[in-house]
Amino acid sequence: MTLFRTPRRSVRLAAIGILAAGALVLTACTGSAEPGPTSGGKIDANATLTVGLVLEPDNLDIRHTSGAALEQILVDNIYEGLVSRTQDNKVEDRLASSHEISPDGLTYTFTLHDGITFHDGTALTSADVVASYETVKTDATVQGNTEFSGVASITAPDEKTVQIVLTKPDQDFLFNLTGPAGLVFKTGDTTDLKTAENGTGPFVLKHWTKGAAITFDRAEKYWGEKPKLSEVVFQYIPDFTAGVNAALDGSVDVLTAVDPNLVSQLKDTGDFTITTGQTTDKATLAFNNAEAPLNDKRVREALRLAIDHKALVEAVGAGQTLYGPIPELDPGYEDLSKLVPYDPAKAKELLKEAGKEKLDLTLTIPSFYGTTVAQVLVSDFAKVGVSLKVDRVEFPTWLDQVYKNHDYELSFVLHVEPRDFGNWANPKYYFGYDNKQVQDLYAQSQAELDPAKSADLLKKAAKIVSEDDAADWLYNGETLTALTAGIKGFPKDSINSRIDLAGVTRTAG
Amino acid sequence: MLRYALTRGVLLIAGLLVSSVVIFFTLRVLPGDVAQLIAGTQASPDQVEAIRASLGLDRPLLAQYTDWIGGILHGDLGTSQLSGASVGAELAEKARVTWPLALMSMTIAMLIAAPFGVMSAVLRGRAGGTAMNVAAQAVAAVPVIWAGMMLVVVFAHWLGWLPAQGFPRTGWTTPGRAFESLLLPAMTIGIVEGAMLMRFVRSATLQAASQDFVRTAAAKGLTRRQALIRHGIPAVGLSIVTVLGVQVAGIIVGSVVIEQLFTLPGIGRMLVTDVGTRDLVKVQSELLVLTGFVLVIGFLVDLVHHAIDPRQREEAV
Repeated sequence: MTLFRTPRRSVRLAAIGILAAGALVLTACTGSAEPGPTSGGKIDANATLTVGLVLEPDNLDIRHTSGAALEQILVDNIYEGLVSRTQDNKVEDRLASSHEISPDGLTYTFTLHDGITFHDGTALTSADVVASYETVKTDATVQGNTEFSGVASITAPDEKTVQIVLTKPDQDFLFNLTGPAGLVFKTGDTTDLKTAENGTGPFVLKHWTKGAAITFDRAEKYWGEKPKLSEVVFQYIPDFTAGVNAALDGSVDVLTAVDPNLVSQLKDTGDFTITTGQTTDKATLAFNNAEAPLNDKRVREALRLAIDHKALVEAVGAGQTLYGPIPELDPGYEDLSKLVPYDPAKAKELLKEAGKEKLDLTLTIPSFYGTTVAQVLVSDFAKVGVSLKVDRVEFPTWLDQVYKNHDYELSFVLHVEPRDFGNWANPKYYFGYDNKQVQDLYAQSQAELDPAKSADLLKKAAKIVSEDDAADWLYNGETLTALTAGIKGFPKDSINSRIDLAGVTRTAG
Repeated sequence: MLRYALTRGVLLIAGLLVSSVVIFFTLRVLPGDVAQLIAGTQASPDQVEAIRASLGLDRPLLAQYTDWIGGILHGDLGTSQLSGASVGAELAEKARVTWPLALMSMTIAMLIAAPFGVMSAVLRGRAGGTAMNVAAQAVAAVPVIWAGMMLVVVFAHWLGWLPAQGFPRTGWTTPGRAFESLLLPAMTIGIVEGAMLMRFVRSATLQAASQDFVRTAAAKGLTRRQALIRHGIPAVGLSIVTVLGVQVAGIIVGSVVIEQLFTLPGIGRMLVTDVGTRDLVKVQSELLVLTGFVLVIGFLVDLVHHAIDPRQREEAV
């Protein structure tokens, strides 16, 4: 961890990212570092950084609660796992000084760094790793439980070594360890994780004023390289206009998830650097593949052809077009734009063929997403004879009706999790998409030991899913961050799911 | 008097019990639950079930109800299923916004209603009185949310005197800014409620002026005005106390809407958020506290009424 280290991109959105996505705006991402702090003033070793965020966590128990709001601030800063992620989504060692995977892909051996301590001063040993991971494996209420379903055993041959054996090879296993599932907690700790912490990371929790702000202090006894910031304040501002005002009057130094419609207010002052970060947010217009009329491929294809994706992206303000289930940041991405040209005439023909020249459909959409997307869809669909009724519901209602009971025709949410292609290979997922070929390809990609070959298999599977018009991917979200002068190393990509602050510096004065 | 208070007290408790049952079971009709929300969109049904069990949501509804109500009887409003925080503590904290807002709204409503109500009664039949009456009709018919938006446009955007929304993050440690941020919301509720109250004050005053005992008093040598003040106003006060009781409920409902509009971190906003996350233990305790508050006000109004109205005292004996 040098000063110039590239911040990690943390793309993983905690379990739901959706909530976070409430921020309608494709919130932000971590990431790409700016160059090092070379120009300008001297680095201020006592600097405080105030960061404006949108969505405040309900509690800090990252073991039991899904949500990007937790992962965004806690992973890498407060808690650490054996491994973490870099800018370009590669796995890198964190608590582990090295790791080895056996040639059959079944045995993972990690060697721990020396001198790691929890914030209460206790030394971390391999026994803590084993206990943490055993809990993930056996306790279904713990985040990441399903990701550990293929784990056969977790053992500690000695104090510095952890060995994990899988029942079958799993291409995503190491990557999954970079999320909440891989975090290491002290064995038998009695800390109330909802309001306090005892992690190993470069920052400690100082205090939390509910409804307003969370403050971290530098962990003075951090086992690795000490962070350059002395204090970080996360200021929660749910209202986008209020967020911009806070940046303008100087109450925050960094504003994440800037509303694309308001960004010019900040730009015009000349006081801010605006970065645009990539995310794995997939704005997914789901079709209920299992029920009429959307079990008819002609209808699904017609709907996709009717959408003017470029105009939609423009209306949303920040994002890129995406024509398949895998975004650019994940393995298996490929530009599939040729599959879905904007062609309302052909859409009409297809609907006629399907005997659906007049079609009434209902879109179920969680109410925190704003109205832009629904408005564009209503008008695009009307042009091909489909009248779209928009049913705005509370998020728990969406979870119940759409996610759990599959009682819907069309649905819109942002799926923010990285590497979540598996949902297309799961016929029980709310998409209701059941294609044996895709399921086989996905299984093969998971079992494949060579990452490049695995990505190729995913690419094939993703293409089939898009060719089947299993859904429409309206856009891939981008996230805007505004920074005041003198701040270096603030992550750029995927900061809606992780903001690694260890490499951030601020110049004095 | 004591017997009357006791009967009313029993009724109050019965009312609270019935409310608790209605609140508890109506909320259970809402689709979706907090376990699903905690689990997220990558969780399997088994995981959701495990979380549900860990929160006790898989137990029979009746058991969940008795647990909750048992806690309430011991003065424990329970803990949030999402944050694990004490509901009582959070209510107390949010009340620091909602209480001042309600009091300010009420004050503004009274300041409008009392003078204008009496004036429009005194000026009855003249142009001024009619104009006041019509204006009150019109304002009372305005939806609170629209009134709020209009006030924001005028005082925040055009004149720039008051903040359009929000509450200072520093809270009451910066009393000036806190007060300032509550002024527009309080005016919104106060003006609309005040207009309603004003019409009431007007008709009560008119009614009092035509009462036999006021005329008799006037006949015995008091001026008409003296008669009204000495004998008429107490009778009017009586009806206004009753209406104020009802108004309190109106102001609480109004605060839910207004706190959304002005993004104030008060009880109304918390309630909406908690319904949105299906944190039902929290929602039901909050609703019960609000209901209890309204019922207690009603109870007090009854007692005051009883104490100042000799006719009621005789009936009760």
